[in-house]
Amino acid sequence: MGKNVDDLAQLKQFKEWFDNRHEYAKKWKKKTGGKVVGYYCTYVPEEILYAAGVLPVRILGSHEPESITRPYLHDMYCPFCHDTLAQGLEGRYDYLDGVTLAQSCLHMRQSYFSFVDRVPNIEWDYYLPFPHGVTNPYAADFAKHEFENFKAAVEDWLGVTITDRDLDRAIEVYNKNRELMTKVFEMRKADNPPITGLHAMYMVVSSQVVDKAEHNEVLEGFVEELQDVENDREIGTRLMLIGSEDYDKELFELIEYGMNYPATFVFEENCTGARYFWGLVENGDDRLMALAKRYVYRVPCPAKDWARGDFFGRRRFQFIEEVIKDYNVDAVIIAQMKFCDPHELDIPALREMLDNMGVTHLHLELDLTQPVGQFRTRVEAMIEAMGEEDLFI
Amino acid sequence: MVTVQESEYWRWPESIWVDESKNWQDAEVISCGIDLGSVSTQAVVMLDGELYAYANMRTGTSSAASAEKAVNAMLEKIGDMKRDDIHYIVGTGYGRVSIPFAQKTITEIACHGRGAVYVYGDKVRTVLDMGGQDLKAIKVDSRGKVINFLMNDKCAAGTGRGIEVVCDLLSIPITEAGQLSLQVDEEPEPVSTTCVVFAKSEILGLIRKGWGKERILAAFFNAVASRVVELLERVGVEPEFAITGGISKNIGVVKRIEDKLGLKALEPKYDPQLAGAIGAALFGRALYIKSKK
Repeated sequence: MGKNVDDLAQLKQFKEWFDNRHEYAKKWKKKTGGKVVGYYCTYVPEEILYAAGVLPVRILGSHEPESITRPYLHDMYCPFCHDTLAQGLEGRYDYLDGVTLAQSCLHMRQSYFSFVDRVPNIEWDYYLPFPHGVTNPYAADFAKHEFENFKAAVEDWLGVTITDRDLDRAIEVYNKNRELMTKVFEMRKADNPPITGLHAMYMVVSSQVVDKAEHNEVLEGFVEELQDVENDREIGTRLMLIGSEDYDKELFELIEYGMNYPATFVFEENCTGARYFWGLVENGDDRLMALAKRYVYRVPCPAKDWARGDFFGRRRFQFIEEVIKDYNVDAVIIAQMKFCDPHELDIPALREMLDNMGVTHLHLELDLTQPVGQFRTRVEAMIEAMGEEDLFI
Repeated sequence: MVTVQESEYWRWPESIWVDESKNWQDAEVISCGIDLGSVSTQAVVMLDGELYAYANMRTGTSSAASAEKAVNAMLEKIGDMKRDDIHYIVGTGYGRVSIPFAQKTITEIACHGRGAVYVYGDKVRTVLDMGGQDLKAIKVDSRGKVINFLMNDKCAAGTGRGIEVVCDLLSIPITEAGQLSLQVDEEPEPVSTTCVVFAKSEILGLIRKGWGKERILAAFFNAVASRVVELLERVGVEPEFAITGGISKNIGVVKRIEDKLGLKALEPKYDPQLAGAIGAALFGRALYIKSKK
């Protein structure tokens, strides 16, 4: 008799870290006496912070209605920007020593600068320019140069020197995390994937808010235990999630656990899923160039993949196409954060690609909280349209 | 003593009907569909896939009680049929998950597609369902199977609930509003928003400016029609085109949609507000037959 994934101690740990991320960071700080830096956007080279003994944590929202960000952010900036800033203004990030942003989109930048200006406990901040066109042949050189400045700023703030050895250690820890999470994702290619999208979200997002070395220890056990997992749930329609950051458990609970028809996410192509950890740092003599190449050549965010694709082509689309085939995806849910311009610009081309591949897709617009009833109707209607031929008599 | 005469202008007539020419006991499969919408609830009984009886009632605060009320009213009208005599009950609509006695639930998108073919014939390819708080543009094949659909987002602007509010504000019975809105010499500009709250403020401004009720209604329905056409164009309109849901009875909205699309909507064979419940009942028949195989 196989194990039930929900009973695994490792999964419970991921969920615990996800639910109590602020408490974790506070305890870590107390235990180690180290600094905690919040980061906006997954283009921040966390390894440099980690090499200096800093705990990098991703700044996330709470999916609760708020009304305190309007003086600083335009109404038509995305709900993620509002939600993250609200957390800072409400004092939930009162343990942060610093905050940083790798340039991604204008909404995020505005939220970041407001966070820097309005959250009183921030003693260090760093705006990290990052190339917009990651398909540009000079992008890695640009990123390397900026990473040098970033490293120098971290050293200056902490009064330390980040050696190559420190960087090697950090790269090793981060690569291990990436490798292990990729292994878990690979298991989802199976006819009966051991985990759901909700489980994957807990795993990936918890890795963004805890010490990676600690996360690796749990992950190693998780990978091992998953070999013996036997699912008793009906997998149903194999879904792929494509889009903006999505760590709203309500959405996963609705689609995977709360519908009239069984459905399971087998892959999440977003920055709280595969886009965060896919692709290793190929370390070499020039550590910062190795890091630069990893971040520039990773599966890109639509904010970075817009440039003319004459160097590498649209890498994100190529990646999506491969995943759909490898993971035997039946249908795609495009979940885009409301007002997220980069995604909005990409979606027409994405739809066209999916249509050409003959893959069913549905577009949902995410907000601070989700219209559960309407989403349910749409996803169920999509699944109904994919089958039920025998009901037309 | 001052007496205040209150009138509920938004209130549309509830209806119950049974086909007296048929004997339900002769039927092999008796199926029932319940479309529990945000504003109205329809229950239909079909005998071997043909419409036999229906009730169209207002949805109350309890979904389960609303479904029960509609089914009971219909059964009472039939007379000798009990709920147990029905072979299969399918629930649809916004409140479908809250119908305790439904054997299965199917989305209103699938049901309106299926029901539209029954109500309008198998030539229909584009179905616009205009309900109490949703607008849905649905493309179907000749069997009424959904090929593609689009639904309005969270906001219920330009839907049935909005029309109820405007009718109340102008003290016009909702059943007369459509016809009245066509009594204008020249079509006015649409109100700038279909958002119920903002439209209400804008309409109050128009009243103060001295606009007549016909003109105000025309401006509001013009805006509703524009919003609907935008949704339809996103999904792609293919003739033949049909409208289901409560607003299909509002000639003021329908006529304006037709004008904007340059297409005439099909004439219904049955009450188009019943399409969702009819679709559900037809699926119920298929499910019953499938279960017996």
